[in-house]
Amino acid sequence: MAALLRGLRAGRTLRGLSSVVAAPSAVNPQCSSLNRGFHRAALRLQDESKSDKPPSSSSSSSSSSTTYHEHYQATEHDTAAEASQHDSASDPAAEQPERPNTSYQDQSGEHGEEYETEEQLQSRILTAALEFVPLHGWSMEAIAAGAETLGLSSASTGMFYNGAGDLVLHFIAHCNSQLTEILAEQHKQVQLGQAEPKKTADFLREAVETRLRMYIPYIETWPQAMSILLLPHNIPDSLKHLSSMVDDIWYYAGDRSTDMNWYTKRAVLTGIYNTTELVMLQDSSPDFQDTWSFLDNRIQDVVNMASSAKQVQSTGEAVVQGFMGAAVTLKNLTGLNQRR
Amino acid sequence: MAASMRLLVRRAVRLSHRNITLTAAGAAARSGCCRGPSVCRCFSDEAEDRSTHFGFETVSETEKAKRVYKVFENVAQKYDIMNDAMSLGIHRVWKDALLHVMHPQPGAQLLDVAGGTGDIAFRFLEYIRSQEERQKRRAARSSQTPSWQDISNNYSTEDESRESRAVVCDINKEMLKVGKQKADSLGVSAGLSWVVGDAEELPFDDDQFDIYTIAFGIRNVTHIDQALQEALRVLKPGGRFMCLEFSKVNNPILSSIYDAYSFQMIPVIGEVIAGDWKSYQYLVESIRKFPNQEEFKGMIEDAGFYCVKYYNLTGGVVALHSGFKL
Repeated sequence: MAALLRGLRAGRTLRGLSSVVAAPSAVNPQCSSLNRGFHRAALRLQDESKSDKPPSSSSSSSSSSTTYHEHYQATEHDTAAEASQHDSASDPAAEQPERPNTSYQDQSGEHGEEYETEEQLQSRILTAALEFVPLHGWSMEAIAAGAETLGLSSASTGMFYNGAGDLVLHFIAHCNSQLTEILAEQHKQVQLGQAEPKKTADFLREAVETRLRMYIPYIETWPQAMSILLLPHNIPDSLKHLSSMVDDIWYYAGDRSTDMNWYTKRAVLTGIYNTTELVMLQDSSPDFQDTWSFLDNRIQDVVNMASSAKQVQSTGEAVVQGFMGAAVTLKNLTGLNQRR
Repeated sequence: MAASMRLLVRRAVRLSHRNITLTAAGAAARSGCCRGPSVCRCFSDEAEDRSTHFGFETVSETEKAKRVYKVFENVAQKYDIMNDAMSLGIHRVWKDALLHVMHPQPGAQLLDVAGGTGDIAFRFLEYIRSQEERQKRRAARSSQTPSWQDISNNYSTEDESRESRAVVCDINKEMLKVGKQKADSLGVSAGLSWVVGDAEELPFDDDQFDIYTIAFGIRNVTHIDQALQEALRVLKPGGRFMCLEFSKVNNPILSSIYDAYSFQMIPVIGEVIAGDWKSYQYLVESIRKFPNQEEFKGMIEDAGFYCVKYYNLTGGVVALHSGFKL
């Protein structure tokens, strides 16, 4: 009896080794087709496929594989206890070369789909929640209302550990990506020759105006959103979004500087953007005309500053040269230059 | 006074002796009532022979359910007092933490399984009530001078939104009775219902509840994965599963203090206050048999929940697991 089992075990390991190469290719299409399914169904199907695998891979040793199959499906059977225990001890050893391969693939493929879908689901909930912001403000109630429109229970708001911060940051990221799309589109137009390239000042003004106009539907509750963004645990994320937006605008404006200018330009634009945003909050003129004229003035200031800086530099150089000339003349007059 | 104290001490010593001999001799040497089932076991089907743990003993699965029922039948009257005595009142903090993490929105439906005396359900209703009050205050503040139209609208829309409801489900009628008495004495009755049911086979339809909680009950369930499957079934899409349960303490110093306290103090307190040593011995043993935080998280994920996360409270003495049905 023991010798028979030993013989079976040896035979199975040999067959297992030989079928290692063949099995993964046979099993992989099965797994990849499963990954295309939906999550819960995929989980259940996967469990079934794992139990189906032993018979398909070790097809030659049908009797042993069926006992393993039985053992796998029925948890405890005292009648086959001893025999199946021996079989299961040897079968995992034979299956192991194939199993890590497929289970890793299953997990990574399935996890990839799960995580993608979880984040996608979260962003869908937050997008739906934006509708309710004018009513509930930037808060968990808005997220709960958004989840309900998608058919999910309000308890799913528990997924958002940062609560209102998540909603505001999602909105900011959404606006930034919209702005990048618009700027890329304009850039393409210019490259195709269908539009004229704009001057830097005009380009900046229009980009900032486009971006700030996205806040107009939520302008009532925007002070609340800004205060949420200033909370200490949100500051890193909000700074990241702000800096990436400013960087994008300068990139499409044509800035390719690699020296100190890179920093000064972005700092200047950040300042302009923030101050204009604050002005917009308390602007009550029709279509925010005051805000856009404020923006105009600030950009004009910067342009003037740049040109006056250049002027100051050249004037300074000229003055210095004048002084040098005067000093040399004086030295000549007093005879200090002569060498006797 | 001294005589009664001596009596108590003698009784405690006798029980501890009996306990030591019992645990030394193993499960087979328990009282005579077990001899019957063991004889039957030899002649019955293999299906009956599936064994599980009851504390540190091994019993058959059918027997475990019966014995757990008896344990809670015995302790039902003194359950709340014992909770306060054993955990020095910290269990209130744990249950409040559960509510804070849950952060239920008004209109949510709660199912509290193994809810027994209703602690979670009461806290849930109170939380929702304070949320609604805060919302009303905020609305009142923002609209300082409501028009007659607004006032009439407020009156009509008060009942339109779903009322939040809490259902307390327990397998043990005694525990539910104690809970109902507590509810009556607190004067809480709106939105509360008491249902007898088995966590492995809930008497509810699919997709009914927003939140499913099970606080310090899931370790008493014979088939934990079945209970998790049932939880998945009765939750609405987007619903949340939350489980509060004793778990593994990682810190070795804290762990040794905790073990000493559990095995030396708790059964004694049980004997003194509730007159039941064995039930509280079962309680501390069943805590040790329950899987640790990561394992339980794996079990919850296997049942089909997503975004599973756990929080350790009091250094790992209690763990709060949370998962979503997506």
